[in-house]
Amino acid sequence: MISRSAIARNAQLGLRRQCCAQPASRRGLAAAALSGSTSFSYESADVSGVKVASRDVAGPTTKLAVVAKAGTRYQSLPGLTTGLSEFAFKNTLKRSALRITREAELLGGQLISYHTREALVVEAKFFKDDLPYFTELLGEVVSQTKYTAHEYHEEVEHVIKLSQQALQGNVSELAINSAHGLAFHRGLGAPLYPTASTPLSKYLNEESIHQFANSAYSKPNIAVVANGAAQSELTKWVGEFFTGVPSSAAPLSSETSKYFGGEERIPHGSGNSFVIAFPGSSSFTSGGDYKPEIAVLAALLGGKSSIKWSPGFSLLSKASSSFPGASASTTHYSYSDAGLLAMQFTGSAQAIRGASTEAIKAIKTIADGSISQEDFTKAVANAKYRALEEGQNIEAGLVATGAGLVQGGKAFQIEEVGKAVQGVSIEKLKAAAKALLESKATVSAVGDLHVLPFAEEIGLTV
Amino acid sequence: MSAPSIANQITKRPWLKKMMMPLANWYANAAGYRKLGLRADDLIPEESETVLLALKRLPQKEAYDRVFRLRRAFQCSLSHQLLPKEQQTKPEEDTPYLSPIIAEIEAEAKERVDLEAMTISKKR
Repeated sequence: MISRSAIARNAQLGLRRQCCAQPASRRGLAAAALSGSTSFSYESADVSGVKVASRDVAGPTTKLAVVAKAGTRYQSLPGLTTGLSEFAFKNTLKRSALRITREAELLGGQLISYHTREALVVEAKFFKDDLPYFTELLGEVVSQTKYTAHEYHEEVEHVIKLSQQALQGNVSELAINSAHGLAFHRGLGAPLYPTASTPLSKYLNEESIHQFANSAYSKPNIAVVANGAAQSELTKWVGEFFTGVPSSAAPLSSETSKYFGGEERIPHGSGNSFVIAFPGSSSFTSGGDYKPEIAVLAALLGGKSSIKWSPGFSLLSKASSSFPGASASTTHYSYSDAGLLAMQFTGSAQAIRGASTEAIKAIKTIADGSISQEDFTKAVANAKYRALEEGQNIEAGLVATGAGLVQGGKAFQIEEVGKAVQGVSIEKLKAAAKALLESKATVSAVGDLHVLPFAEEIGLTV
Repeated sequence: MSAPSIANQITKRPWLKKMMMPLANWYANAAGYRKLGLRADDLIPEESETVLLALKRLPQKEAYDRVFRLRRAFQCSLSHQLLPKEQQTKPEEDTPYLSPIIAEIEAEAKERVDLEAMTISKKR
């Protein structure tokens, strides 16, 4: 017999669904109509020399960023980019750092500045209504910061020293920095934060930072990107508040990246990290050199499982699952004119040794073509998801778009990326893996060098 | 550091400044510190947080020169001598180098206090 209560509950649920279905969908449409386009692509424009891009997504908050082509790749002296990003929101000609902080707090805003290898980002998050205030603030930070000596000595220098120490203790960061250095030597090879042994006092002071700022924050070198602001509003306010930005300073430039490769071993007392890297593909926004098969290869190698309670389908996680204590991950670092496909192993030295050997074998199986169609489909789906998520992710989308605009004048277009990844065939993947094995690898080991393998021992040519 | 002063009010009025300048110059010379090679800002008492911070913010060269002037003045004072005429501070060298920094620090502190004591009223 079916109990009465069970029937009643099902009936209730059914009823609820019926009556809720329609209003919910109606509301969705209404919201979309209110906020204009909810497309995930950016509209870009040029406001008296400053590139502006925005996407008007629904919601009460806005994220506004100035993306400058002034990452560590473009710094003329070590540490300049870090120094400049620490100098954001300090005393300006119009108001003090304290006032900026308090005003932003009162409006409920958040101010952040950070840098990547290619871009320097000065960012504000706030309520949609406060767009004029924060556009003015960013314009002021970019063009009117004072770069005083006492702020440098009392605040900036101190933070840089702390970040140096933090980097010194972080083996995985050290290994990635070392891999970049090996792969690209100068430019992209510069460490993301000054290493502990960089003689900062020789290169870094408020004057050198000020000089760097003049060229870093010049009109052709920056893009203003907003998420959650109407294009018309943004162009209006940028036109008003970014007039003080110098238009033609000496532009920052860096040589075209060239891949070198090699091996470096750094002894370290706390923790082990092992990076095997190969030349990758440049980012989507760069245009021509974009190779989606590298992204698929990165997903296929994987390492970190994307679902729970299972090592996942990826080759590295399978390889490292038999070596407890090692964890592997594959990251594809893509830049405007080069890329680095890096497999990173962390954990105990012995386990890393075993897992890395297995990983090289796994790449060889891809190159041989003995990879199952099912794994390939999974990898394509995963790579596509990751690319699209990155575009939808506000943070990454902002930086990617800004960098794309400043570098080559192309915004991040999410639909096209999805299509490109979907179009990868298994033959292309095979060819890509083969090309990797034939090229010179980049291997960097940080930690217990007695146990960590040499490149030659795991079957790589360096 | 800053005692109440009417100097600002005087310098704002050119005619008054013109009247007072000879008196001011006479006073500064009579005070005697120039004969020991010092500047007026060397006489500011160091025993306060503000002045200590301002001294830290001095450019390296200024800080070095300041210490040099002070030590020379101590030596002169110990040996009960005045500096030879050409080494004494000339009126045009007697420029404020420390007090602008002190004023800046005081303004910062005042701004901090003001912001902390601020009352917020909601938009109507």
